[in-house]
Amino acid sequence: MSGFADAPDADVIARILAGDGDAFGILVRRHEPGLLRFATRMLGSPDAAADAVAEALIRAYRHLASLDDPTRFRTWLYRIVANRCKSHLGRRSAQRVSLEEAAPVPDPHDGEAELERAEQLGLVERALRTLSPEKREAFLLKHVEGLSYEEMAALTGERVPTLKMRVHRAREALLEALKEHR
Amino acid sequence: MSKLDPRIHEVLDGELPLERLPAELRALVLRLEHAAGLLRAGPAPASVAGRVLAALHRPEPSRGRRVLQWLTERHVITIAMRPVWSLALAAVLAAVVLVPDHGSAPLLGAQEGIARFVGHFPGARSVDVVGPFTDWHTGVVPLRDDDNDGVWSAVVVLPAGTHEYMFVVDGERWVADPLAGRYVSDGFGRQNALLIVRPVGR
Repeated sequence: MSGFADAPDADVIARILAGDGDAFGILVRRHEPGLLRFATRMLGSPDAAADAVAEALIRAYRHLASLDDPTRFRTWLYRIVANRCKSHLGRRSAQRVSLEEAAPVPDPHDGEAELERAEQLGLVERALRTLSPEKREAFLLKHVEGLSYEEMAALTGERVPTLKMRVHRAREALLEALKEHR
Repeated sequence: MSKLDPRIHEVLDGELPLERLPAELRALVLRLEHAAGLLRAGPAPASVAGRVLAALHRPEPSRGRRVLQWLTERHVITIAMRPVWSLALAAVLAAVVLVPDHGSAPLLGAQEGIARFVGHFPGARSVDVVGPFTDWHTGVVPLRDDDNDGVWSAVVVLPAGTHEYMFVVDGERWVADPLAGRYVSDGFGRQNALLIVRPVGR
């Protein structure tokens, strides 16, 4: 597998579909940091995020042959994870989830700058969790994962103008929430 | 929620350079970018690669183990029959559950309902319905066409709620029920049909 680690997703997928299942590890390691980050911010729970991403990756592997355009593998993965996050949030909607759940716990051995950074991150995460799942997803995909509106459209099935509007509303809601949580 | 100056969105969408904004608006852009930067750099859970690859490499359980697992797990109950009989059965089951009977336990749980799947697949050798309730596996809820008229059907008891499902024809062709009326993206570029099962007790 060595020497293949930098190959484009589509090449790795072709290799997997030709019978080299182990090559899927390349794709897992390549994409899981972003997927885990996205799911953690969406769900506010590292454990739930790990479950969502693991399930999504297993599902992706099992349905790899059904992927129409292997060059869009990354977008496809995000879509699976986003769907799993939404169904997780749907199941959890009846329960009240503490806004503190996702707050990082500063390590007392951290320096002053790290403590301040952790505090700021906690503030942003609390503000983020006040957004609706759709707005949260839109903000995270655009500003944290760096997807284009076109990629977001492929991922969510929504039209670009709709997504643009959603991102705009998400920015406004986030700034408002940041003011309140200050 | 107060609306932001549209120029802020233009900058954040890469349509306008930051320098074109007055200082007070620039501060808001930087605030949002700072927030996004914190979220990008913040801690994330440990890798799940080992767990995923282990799951993919796990060998299929033996036949005996599958039987044991089947006997100890909860299952969807499948009754396959001619469409007219399946309707009659659905009516009887509903009546049994709806008519109070203090002397015996209800046939269905309060949060279960009856779902009837029907599809027109002339010439098909097999039709299955799959969904989360079958873990998307075929062979759990096969449809039947006993009179060979191309109409395949099955009646199943499912938990009340919304269920995604697909028909699998001849074990390989996945078809969204054209009569479902409601669909949802399956995350793989296709649409799953949606079925709403209402609790029979309601």
